[in-house]
Amino acid sequence: MNRGMKRLAVFLFAVTAFGQVSFPEAWPGYNGDASGRRFSTLSRINQSNIDSLSLAWVYRVNPGRAPQAGGGNVNTTIKGTPVVVNGVLYTTIPDHVWAIDARTGREIWHYVWPSKGGWHIGNRGVAVLRETVYVETPDCNLIALNSKDGKEKWHTQICDLEQFYYASVAPIIVNTSVKNHVITGVSGDDLDIPGYIESHDPDTGALQWRWYAHPEPGTPEAKTWPSVEAMLHGGGMTWVPSTYDPDLNLLYFGTGNPQPVIAGQGREGSNLFTECIIALNPDTGKLAWYFQPSPHDTHDWDAVQTPVLFDGEVNGEPRKLLAQASRNGWFFLLDRATGRNILSSEFVKTNWTLGVDAKGQPIPNPAKQPKPDGALVTPNQGGAINWPSPSFNPETGLFYANAARAWSVYYLYDDDDKPEGWGGNDRSGFSEAMVQAIDYKTGKIRWSHKWPGGGGGVRSGLLSTAGKLLFAGDPSANFVALDPATGEPLWHAALHAVVSNGPITYELDGVQYLVVGAGDTLYGFAMRAR
Amino acid sequence: MRRLIAAKKGDRQLCPLPRFCSKAGALGRGQSSLSPFLAALLSCTALWGQAGPYQRQEVDPAAASRGKRVYTQFCINCHGASAKGTEQGPDLIRSPLVLRDRLGDQIGPALKKLANHKTDLTNAQVADLTHFLKDQIEATAKNRNPVSPPNVLTGDLEAGRTYFNGAGKCSTCHSPTGDLAGVGRKYSPLDLQQRFLFPRLSQPRHVTITLSGGQPVSGALERIDDFSVSLRDTSGEYRTFSRDKNIKVDLSDPLAAHNQMLDVYTDQDIHNVARYLESLQ
Repeated sequence: MNRGMKRLAVFLFAVTAFGQVSFPEAWPGYNGDASGRRFSTLSRINQSNIDSLSLAWVYRVNPGRAPQAGGGNVNTTIKGTPVVVNGVLYTTIPDHVWAIDARTGREIWHYVWPSKGGWHIGNRGVAVLRETVYVETPDCNLIALNSKDGKEKWHTQICDLEQFYYASVAPIIVNTSVKNHVITGVSGDDLDIPGYIESHDPDTGALQWRWYAHPEPGTPEAKTWPSVEAMLHGGGMTWVPSTYDPDLNLLYFGTGNPQPVIAGQGREGSNLFTECIIALNPDTGKLAWYFQPSPHDTHDWDAVQTPVLFDGEVNGEPRKLLAQASRNGWFFLLDRATGRNILSSEFVKTNWTLGVDAKGQPIPNPAKQPKPDGALVTPNQGGAINWPSPSFNPETGLFYANAARAWSVYYLYDDDDKPEGWGGNDRSGFSEAMVQAIDYKTGKIRWSHKWPGGGGGVRSGLLSTAGKLLFAGDPSANFVALDPATGEPLWHAALHAVVSNGPITYELDGVQYLVVGAGDTLYGFAMRAR
Repeated sequence: MRRLIAAKKGDRQLCPLPRFCSKAGALGRGQSSLSPFLAALLSCTALWGQAGPYQRQEVDPAAASRGKRVYTQFCINCHGASAKGTEQGPDLIRSPLVLRDRLGDQIGPALKKLANHKTDLTNAQVADLTHFLKDQIEATAKNRNPVSPPNVLTGDLEAGRTYFNGAGKCSTCHSPTGDLAGVGRKYSPLDLQQRFLFPRLSQPRHVTITLSGGQPVSGALERIDDFSVSLRDTSGEYRTFSRDKNIKVDLSDPLAAHNQMLDVYTDQDIHNVARYLESLQ
């Protein structure tokens, strides 16, 4: 087989369940392909040879000595998933982008954005389209860089620092039959501001549309707020990247907490479209459907976790599915064409609901809303899961979440009729961390692997592969491979810090690479042809 | 200069409803007629964003105090005691114009244009007013932290005592005249509540390692994961064992009983027990 035929074979093999094409020689976007499954068809690294995996390179980010805007030390933790295109790996921290040789780990270029401020909590990475690299900055800009040399092509403002917005999410490229899009999201919950998502022209940065995470005044959904003013200041940030189904031409993402965050007495109602899984037409920004995992949230349980798309079978019928393991501890399986709920179940035990309503949405227990003298709640504010990515493995039919069972006491500090900002908070206590393998057809936990020796709140994403491996970070700074069928630990590498991003894999020149970030360092492992 | 030009470019792209993008009404109006206006205002917020180097106005406490007097005299009737608005006047904490103001550069001109507003304030009075409003904004943005500790002593002392000695099973291990004597003096009520819910170990967990065919090795746990376990034995030596199939690990969990109770406590139990513990002076 010549080189071209080999490439073609790999190309065809990589056609996913709903017609998308992924490129094993690359990791083209935040989740690899647009489905959000974080499942790789690569199998050169597999159960039989994982013990032979070798360290190929290490790259430590060096942002230089420029002070961080707004003071403090530069946050060098790599929280973004690297993107790999044409043998180049792109990684980020806030205000910084590096292009690295994906084979050798050697730096090609480093771009620094002269920041004006904003919250430098983290950056989720870049998007790449042809020869342009896109990244968001804490001071509310979308930047386009030349992939060859890191030179800036243009930048455009996507939010307003004055209102305490900031930007951290990785942009997503969506190419439809109509036009191409760069999808951006926003962050910020200090003040009561509305969340939104935008689409920009990849060539010019021009705004194509903006969709606010609140209904139009006068619509039935607007009645989920006590007033227009509360609704227009109701939050719902969009800080985790979207997924996309090209056949249905629908973009899927989650929205964050309502505002005020903890003190919810001034916003009675379910507070649409905060805490929702949203489906939009990416060409128009028009809403197709919504499903709300956390109606009237008062615990900061952003429902932004990756909506994972896959085709499967439910009750013997083939279905186009969407699954989310949500920060509130519940797993949801939806029909991604309609948004109709198929299944809702806890993936860790919680204590905040009175069951689910007719739509499959949890009903919050008023007794477990924050109280002046405290309410004991599980999960805690960090959640049963947070932003780190889950993985769905079509070979096992299991949805994996690096989860936590955590408790805290929620206090209401502001009992005014019209609180603003947060107006309360939680104080955390006991927690334990585990990988949960969820059978998507039943919602039951097929296996659970509790991480020994550490508390909850593991901030490592997951990756599963056709090599019958599930990669994860544990609380003890290990990068671990588990058996995806049983949860048995098979391999590990002790790193200098806990895994802080989602692992990726790609194959170049017959070598399968596995790259993971821990703190300020990327570790590149490799399995060479035998 | 480059940034200024770029900001203008972004502004044009961000405003889908340009007919609403005037500064004159940026302080808003009454809510009943406000919704389309506010929606447009929110859509246009970036019009004023990044007009210059970004730096929040630093609040001068003395000026904020003077500004509070100005606010109380001229603004409070319509905008409310905390500037969060009333039916007569909009919320000023959430006002994009106030948020982007620096020392009155936006509020001053707006006051002169808006109907029924005090137009003869001096520049110094307007600046003082901005310090008061910025102080309110900064306090709102930080109110995830309490101004004072929450009052957790809302429970019933006797019910707490009963729970301590009964269903809570606390007296199985603890005594109000022994290890908990004077605990109400030692910790604040909030810390008492947190500590009995989420106690911390005062010493390392005890671990015993048994290798097949070998003598057990015991000591204080240093670390454990899926692959190895480390302890410090009674002689003070640090020892690590691989967790292969030939090793048995017995790890004590002194907090297990506490952690299991988290699924059992009611919030009323928690408040009652906190009240009882606080009484142990």
